[in-house]
Amino acid sequence: MVLDNLGGSLRNALRRIASANKIDKALVDEAVREIQRALLQADVNVKLVMQLSNKIKERALDEKPPAGMNPREHVINIVYQELINLVGRGTDVPLKKQNIMLIGLQGSGKTTTAAKLATYFQRKGLRAAVICADTFRAGAYDQLKALCERQGIFFYGEKGNPDAAAVAKSGLEAAKRYDVKIVDTAGRHALEADLIQEMMDIHAVANADQKLLVMDAALGQQASEQARAFNEAVQITGVIITKLDGTAKGGGALSAVAETKTSVAFIGVGETPADLEKFEADRFISRLLGMGDIKTLIERAQEVQTDQAVNVDALMRGKFTLKDMYQQMEAMNKLGPLKQIMQMLPMGGLGFELSDKEYQMTKTRLDKYRVIMDSMTAAELEDPKIITASRIVRISRGSGASTDLVRELLKSHQAMQKAIKGMRGGMGKMNMKRLMKRFSPGTKM
Amino acid sequence: MFNRFKEKLSGFKEALSSKIQEKVGAKADQAEKATTAEKPAAASSQPQQEARSGAVSEAPKAREAERDSSKPKNRLSFLEKAKTLVFEQEVVLEEKDLDEPLWALEMALLESDVALPVAEEIVKEVKSGLLGVKKKIGADTGELAEEALRGALLNILSRNHIDFDEYISDKEKPVKILFVGVNGTGKTTSIAKVAKHLMDRGYSVVLAAGDTFRAGAIEQLEVHGNKLGLKVVKHKTGGDPAAVIFDAIEYAKAHNKDVVLADTAGRLHTNINLMDQMKKIVRVTKPDLLIFVDEAIAGNDAVERARLFNESVPIGGSILTKTDADAKGGSAISVAYITGKPVLFLGIGQTYPDLVKFEPQWLVDRLMGEAEA
Repeated sequence: MVLDNLGGSLRNALRRIASANKIDKALVDEAVREIQRALLQADVNVKLVMQLSNKIKERALDEKPPAGMNPREHVINIVYQELINLVGRGTDVPLKKQNIMLIGLQGSGKTTTAAKLATYFQRKGLRAAVICADTFRAGAYDQLKALCERQGIFFYGEKGNPDAAAVAKSGLEAAKRYDVKIVDTAGRHALEADLIQEMMDIHAVANADQKLLVMDAALGQQASEQARAFNEAVQITGVIITKLDGTAKGGGALSAVAETKTSVAFIGVGETPADLEKFEADRFISRLLGMGDIKTLIERAQEVQTDQAVNVDALMRGKFTLKDMYQQMEAMNKLGPLKQIMQMLPMGGLGFELSDKEYQMTKTRLDKYRVIMDSMTAAELEDPKIITASRIVRISRGSGASTDLVRELLKSHQAMQKAIKGMRGGMGKMNMKRLMKRFSPGTKM
Repeated sequence: MFNRFKEKLSGFKEALSSKIQEKVGAKADQAEKATTAEKPAAASSQPQQEARSGAVSEAPKAREAERDSSKPKNRLSFLEKAKTLVFEQEVVLEEKDLDEPLWALEMALLESDVALPVAEEIVKEVKSGLLGVKKKIGADTGELAEEALRGALLNILSRNHIDFDEYISDKEKPVKILFVGVNGTGKTTSIAKVAKHLMDRGYSVVLAAGDTFRAGAIEQLEVHGNKLGLKVVKHKTGGDPAAVIFDAIEYAKAHNKDVVLADTAGRLHTNINLMDQMKKIVRVTKPDLLIFVDEAIAGNDAVERARLFNESVPIGGSILTKTDADAKGGSAISVAYITGKPVLFLGIGQTYPDLVKFEPQWLVDRLMGEAEA
């Protein structure tokens, strides 16, 4: 995880709106400026950012927040809606017989993506074939061949034949009996007229149902123009954003999608063939703005209240079993990365910040704790007092954790129980940092 | 390439000009008209408001940015200022006057892919260069702006300047150069180009196929080796990259080769294991020069990558690739700013000679529109 100062300043601006009684122009201006910063830093096209922020500003000032929504949620909601309008819900690539052509700039990850896509379809029960129409780049043939062989995917290529369209044609012929035929092409950019022509020639023979533009998440202000050129040449049907496992936000790809009126089909999140995910607009936008899951944020805003009421109820009785602790962790886990949850919770926005390292440590620790608790019996979870030394040995063996760690978990639970008892009735203001600290290793209880 | 920035930059210059012009225009002095004839907006005796909108239509780009910034403008004090100006012969640039033009500049930089934090630093520097400057009415305002910006850019691009060719000739042989960077930026292609560059200058070169991870990477380097007639030291895919490069260095020593160019696998700066592997490669092979390869078309992430690579291993210089894809040139500024190290080469195409030595003056001249790109 990379520390995100940007999300921080955006949150600050939104917080000020939250604490204001009504939305006034100065507050919105400030928030919009931070939103602009966030979007610009995410490589969203400058013009698009300006259009977007004007619209957000207008709506934030003109529209009354719906009942029950505070000004901050209202503004976030508008931002979210406008971004969703731009990025769309994602291109659905159906699971059926089809031809797919991958195009894009040099080094954007077409070849790796070709193997990933084939693996994806293969896993869904369709027979996939990959055709190497990159006749230019040194090693392209070997790369794709090796990737396909590893995955047991049909591969077609002609080493030494420079005519990409001809290779694509015979490749499609050779792969006739396969359901999904994926044509990989050489990298090219908008100014290489001869290569754009070559792409159109391949397109003419590939008869592709899907023409997917593969884009590096790090691509900057170039993205719109490049996308436009590719779109004009072959009418792209969707975008695949690659290298989203780095720190790049993919704003370039968003601009490309807006420019070509298409949407994102898949995202690449790693180097292995399985690292291809379906596009989820919500997560993408959260990342773009550098703040927690934005949609959940709105939903959470209401839920947090009710959640706490329930918790307080149970805890008022002074009972906090391991099971409760487990449920808490499960609930947190479902919501997504810990850091985002922290940001979503109201106290997450109240001034304290955990360092990335703390988050990371807490997260690994929580994961281990869950495994340990999975190895406990229901009775043990209900009443941790019955856990004797021999039970600890058993749990340790069952979970693969050291007995020390099991003891640490029990201690953590005790400490939490104590803390919660001490806070009885004050759950609403429960100090999350203290809670997190107790989960962190090396903290004296 | 870089044309876009030129256009945008003129937006900044005009915004600054029209700002100064506003001040001057407030005088509505007939005598002034002659010296500022090229700015019709200022040369009218219309009320202040109209003069403003006139100046604005002249620089629509800047105007657009201005409107978006929507800084609340204090008209009263502006008029006050304007009145006092009638009795003075020169204009002093104040913070308030600079806000809008500098916003236009920042937008111009951002549109050219200068990363946000870097753009902000540049704007700050330009601002401190302009603030309080007394501006004689009628002098060329664009020049003033250009001077400030040129200084700021040159400053960033010239830090720790090294001449690559001199570096190679002065260094004890074999010179060990390691290429690192994220996936798909063009490390392997750049190695082939640098090899050609060195061969043209009479050096003998050995290539080390240190990317043992990516399928086809070794073959890719071999193809280049064959075309250029160079020895490629390689192991199997999946081998230890440090060992390959070490062998290549041994080979170079044994065969009196001048330069070892070592390829490495692309790695994302967020992948801790791969970054550790890179540190190990550096530890074992002790390269003389570490070259960070990134693409000129990258946006803000260029900063993040450059920073994390530079924090892991001591980057000595950078190569920016894919400049021919209508790159805006801004990432050169970002990368140079973050690493504090010079950009050595630009990749400008797909063939071997498509590598040009990077000169700060050259880029700045092109960005500022003095030389044809």
